[in-house]
Amino acid sequence: MSAVLLTRLKITDLTALTALEAGRRMLPEGHALERIVREELFLFEPESGVAPAAFEQRLHEAIETSNFFVNPNKERFRFLTSGQRGATWSPPEGAWGILARSRDDTRDEGLRARLLREHPLPGLAAIRRARAWWLWTRDASGAPAKEYFYVRLGPLQGPSKGLLLNPHAEASLRIFGDVAWKDVERFLAEPALQPAAA
Amino acid sequence: MARAAVLQIPGVNCEYESARALEAVGIEARIIRFNEASSVLSEFDAFVLPGGFAFQDRIRAGAVAAKLPAVERIARESESGKPVIGICNGAQVLVETGIVPGIHPGRVELALAPNRAPRRPGYQCRWIHVRPSEGPGRATFAATIALDEFVPLPLAHGEGRFTTADPDVRARIESQGLVLFRYVDGAGHPADHYPDDPNGAMFQAAGITNVAGNVLAFMPHPERAAWLRMMPQDWPGAWGERRRAVIGKFDALEGAGPGRFLFASLAKRLGVSTPQGAPA
Repeated sequence: MSAVLLTRLKITDLTALTALEAGRRMLPEGHALERIVREELFLFEPESGVAPAAFEQRLHEAIETSNFFVNPNKERFRFLTSGQRGATWSPPEGAWGILARSRDDTRDEGLRARLLREHPLPGLAAIRRARAWWLWTRDASGAPAKEYFYVRLGPLQGPSKGLLLNPHAEASLRIFGDVAWKDVERFLAEPALQPAAA
Repeated sequence: MARAAVLQIPGVNCEYESARALEAVGIEARIIRFNEASSVLSEFDAFVLPGGFAFQDRIRAGAVAAKLPAVERIARESESGKPVIGICNGAQVLVETGIVPGIHPGRVELALAPNRAPRRPGYQCRWIHVRPSEGPGRATFAATIALDEFVPLPLAHGEGRFTTADPDVRARIESQGLVLFRYVDGAGHPADHYPDDPNGAMFQAAGITNVAGNVLAFMPHPERAAWLRMMPQDWPGAWGERRRAVIGKFDALEGAGPGRFLFASLAKRLGVSTPQGAPA
């Protein structure tokens, strides 16, 4: 059971805007890409046998008072303890998502070491990272057509197919509805699957 | 006279250096803006996608530029055998289009992933050594350098690790000789660890070509080493000695640097007679 931190820009996210513009140019008439939001996900993994509550309160304070994770001038965040996060992660209203992680180890050892140097948090084993892309889409009938847009704008397959991640460097998890946090944890902790098998 | 187009995309920063390096070997170079009518590109014999940060590397390095009509046009022109060099960010663009390695045409088969080096994550900006290998790209991009020769070149990238998740593509890149340039140590031996290997690329690849050998994705910056004056004075080895020997000799400083071979090879491929001062 990991605690969760989600951050996103509160100033204009030019990367998301560029993705929106580039994505719209890749779609045929009648298919609308209405909005894209980019969110960074951090999972705080406890050591085996340690209750996450042992460090979560201090972790929350560290996130609020340090600038390791969030620059309050330009970012907003949601911190959810393992108890607060619930069993599932829900996309924002009307959206669906693509969670992208590096095909390498998702642990950010540098960030963890930096955090622990100034905020001793006994029991924190790892910080894992991924990026969520939230998309608001609509086909000619008004349906979100998630599978269609996922193929067109998700993992890069060819010059006109795929945009948001390169599957040779990143693995992806579709978030078409509520997703169990344990599946997200597994997705980040286990070795990335071959693109064809994902 | 052979003509090469250097594509200027918002965010690139090496287009003028690349054009000058082409001119130095007798190729007429013209900088073409990304939003000019892409049909103009058919007038050129070769293309360079220069280094920099196209579209600020938004989404991912090369991701947005790979969708440009001009890049699509260059991909089409390459199908007729016209040479294309992507340098650093240009290499990232070529990989994102799928032109390199092009084993299964129309498919993206590689990524240039973030550098992987022990305790040194992120951007690398320094000099390394590369050495050519035999392969389909040799006649176009390495004809003026011997296989036992290795040269120092600068590199500057955060995402330079050639990688693929497809084991078949990986095997074919090796078996078909598509790794045209590899990182080596100061003695010319394979760079099996950091810092000689700067990013953890598969096969220590610094440059990979397409199957036909006319498109090269090259991570170091040969245009930043095209003149002897660009070499660091304290660099060890033969090129360092050459550089130290011309300190204060302004005419000699304008001689060819270690990166010139790539442009000279391209000139040879295009049938351009090598101007004075360029390597044979």
